[in-house]
Amino acid sequence: MSLVRAELSRLLARRFTQLMLVLLVGAFVVTIGTTVASSHVPTAAEWERAEFQVVQEESRQEQMQQLCESGQGTTDFCQTLSERKPRLEDYLFGVFVFEREIRDLVYFMVAFLALFSFLVAASFVGAELNSGGMTNLLLWRPQRLTVLGTKLGTLLASVLAVAVVATVGYIASFWVIAQVNGLPGDVDAEFWGDLAMVVVRGLLLGLGAATLGFCLATLGRHTAAAMGVVAGYAIVWEVGARIVMEVVETGRPETFMLSTYLGAWMDGRVTFYDGPCVGSFAECSYSLTWAHGLIVLTALVAVVAVGAFASFRQRDLA
Amino acid sequence: MRAGASYTDSVEVNHQIVVRRGHWTIQPRRTGLPPTGVTLTVGFNAMSVVIQIEGLRKTFRTLRGGARVALDGFDMTVEAGQVHGFLGPNGSGKTTTLRALLGLVHADDGRMAVLGRQSPAELPAVAGRVGAIVESPQFFGNFTGRRTLRLLATAGGVPHDRVEEVLDQVGLRDRGDERVKGYSLGMKQRLAVASALLKQPELLILDEPANGLDPAGIREMRDLMRDLAAAGVTVLVSSHILAEIQLICDHVTIISRGRRVVSGPVSEVVSGFDKGEYRVRVAGHERAAEVIRGAGLPVTVHDDHFVVGDLADPAWVSETLGGQGMWVRELTPLTPDLESVFLQLTGTVPEPGAHKQVDDAVRPGAEQDLSVTVVEGDAK
Ligand SMILES: Nc1ncnc2c1ncn2[C@@H]1O[C@H](COP(=O)(O)OP(=O)(O)O)[C@@H](O)[C@H]1O
Ligand SMILES: [Mg+2]
Repeated sequence: MSLVRAELSRLLARRFTQLMLVLLVGAFVVTIGTTVASSHVPTAAEWERAEFQVVQEESRQEQMQQLCESGQGTTDFCQTLSERKPRLEDYLFGVFVFEREIRDLVYFMVAFLALFSFLVAASFVGAELNSGGMTNLLLWRPQRLTVLGTKLGTLLASVLAVAVVATVGYIASFWVIAQVNGLPGDVDAEFWGDLAMVVVRGLLLGLGAATLGFCLATLGRHTAAAMGVVAGYAIVWEVGARIVMEVVETGRPETFMLSTYLGAWMDGRVTFYDGPCVGSFAECSYSLTWAHGLIVLTALVAVVAVGAFASFRQRDLA
Repeated sequence: MRAGASYTDSVEVNHQIVVRRGHWTIQPRRTGLPPTGVTLTVGFNAMSVVIQIEGLRKTFRTLRGGARVALDGFDMTVEAGQVHGFLGPNGSGKTTTLRALLGLVHADDGRMAVLGRQSPAELPAVAGRVGAIVESPQFFGNFTGRRTLRLLATAGGVPHDRVEEVLDQVGLRDRGDERVKGYSLGMKQRLAVASALLKQPELLILDEPANGLDPAGIREMRDLMRDLAAAGVTVLVSSHILAEIQLICDHVTIISRGRRVVSGPVSEVVSGFDKGEYRVRVAGHERAAEVIRGAGLPVTVHDDHFVVGDLADPAWVSETLGGQGMWVRELTPLTPDLESVFLQLTGTVPEPGAHKQVDDAVRPGAEQDLSVTVVEGDAK
């Protein structure tokens, strides 16, 4: 317990952590601020025009429907025909509609939180390995796995706490903006359920990013090692190998890319065109779901974590 | 049992001590013999051995396949209450030894024990009683000295009052709220010592504590070590500065190229190298040298004096020369200091054969480390 307390105060006392927290808050304030500035409560005239446009659109959709039903439209066109009923919010411009925009905003936040977690985690252990702070601590507690494990555990708990507070604050802010200066939109139980799932996935992603950053920095004994690995992976594999795969026409190159699984995890499902198949997209595509993402990303983090702890247990410390 | 504690007990003699090739064992007496009626008091103070290292080996391997032998079968024994100097030239393996002892480096071979517990396996059990600084320790530059110590105190479950005490003890009380980044090397070294003292250790291990200290700092460090020793703390201090070791240490282990060259009480180590040499100044010293040489003693003649060796009693020189009308003006024993011993010992490549003699002369044998006194008769 005393070790947890010590690690927590170390984490909070670090300049880098403080800087990242400030950046996090700053980014949120900017996002929220621009939203507030670019939104307004629709005027009576705007309402009227929007209502008129909705009516127009409804009748246009009806015509299309009839056209397709009578077999006059092309199949492709009729397949892609929107089934979504037009809504008022779609025709109110410069108005923040919570239901329509929060999902992308949360994605932005998740990306930011993941980056934040990764960097804070990498520097938390990297700086200590590099400066000899870890050695000092091990002289007090000569139990390597306990010390490293406590460090990681404390870090993950802190990251989770920050992420939860940030997420709740972030979404609540936009909800308030919608109420005061925009429109909530069509928010029902299903909407909230979906949003909650996105948030939960985002939080797990943040924890995974933190673990990955921590373990990569432990393996490389340096903060920069973690960033180097990620940058190297992105350039060599995501860009380089992708180009090579396209040249040699490897089937389903996306299945070899971590970014695919990241997308699948966050979006729930990603669909790609399946190489040699000939036909329409609907016929020639394959999907990866969040479950694929979960398996691949968890396996990745687990392998790196086991490697980091095993290596740390054995190695000679400077 | 704490370090230095000893254990005594009285037993009816129904066992016998069998000594074989320098090792003793206690075995039951053959049955059927009449009872001896003798009680033995067996005193046993194995716990007074605070650090025990045997046959420690470590080879550092680089990624490119290079190998550097840092420790090559090193032995060391430190007993409770000693201020033990750990002396060796740069790169001889002092830091590696201390790191291995403290579980920071994995030894390839050998046995180590600290305060009676195997290292590194049982180190957690005694870590709270061992304060250590290994090589110039680094701290987070952005933390103040006080905060650095508080964090360690929190991690080690030491009350925060203790932080103020040690800051005072190492002379950093008024600078405790400054960032470590702004500390001089000597101040960082003091902070390191403070961190080692935090847990009120029974055993203090200091790796080159004089590094970066100014003369006043070195003196304070010396006084601090003396105070701690007086308070019963066992101190192991490594250094390549001989004068320092001779001033503060009562025992010394000299290491060279990863092997123990010699160890024992400083005075014994030094006197082991005493060749009974005296410097003699006398008018007409060349003629006098001839006289002494005539008596069969080794003499080396210098510009204005000569040196005579193998001299048991210096009075003999003044008597002999005085008898011939030569009056001795100076007769000074040339006792070796640790420095000359050190240079003599470490200047040579350690070959097992050559060092054996030196080791044998002053090295306390393994049986003596576990000192067992057997007192016959009823001691109670
Ligand atoms: N981490 C390491 N990697 C490779 N060689 C090392 C390492 N640490 C020490 N050595 C080598 O081991 C030998 C002993 O070093 P060290 O124990 O630091 O000596 P000392 O403290 O007596 O000056 C030296 O030759 C040194 O170069
Ligand atoms: Mg050293």
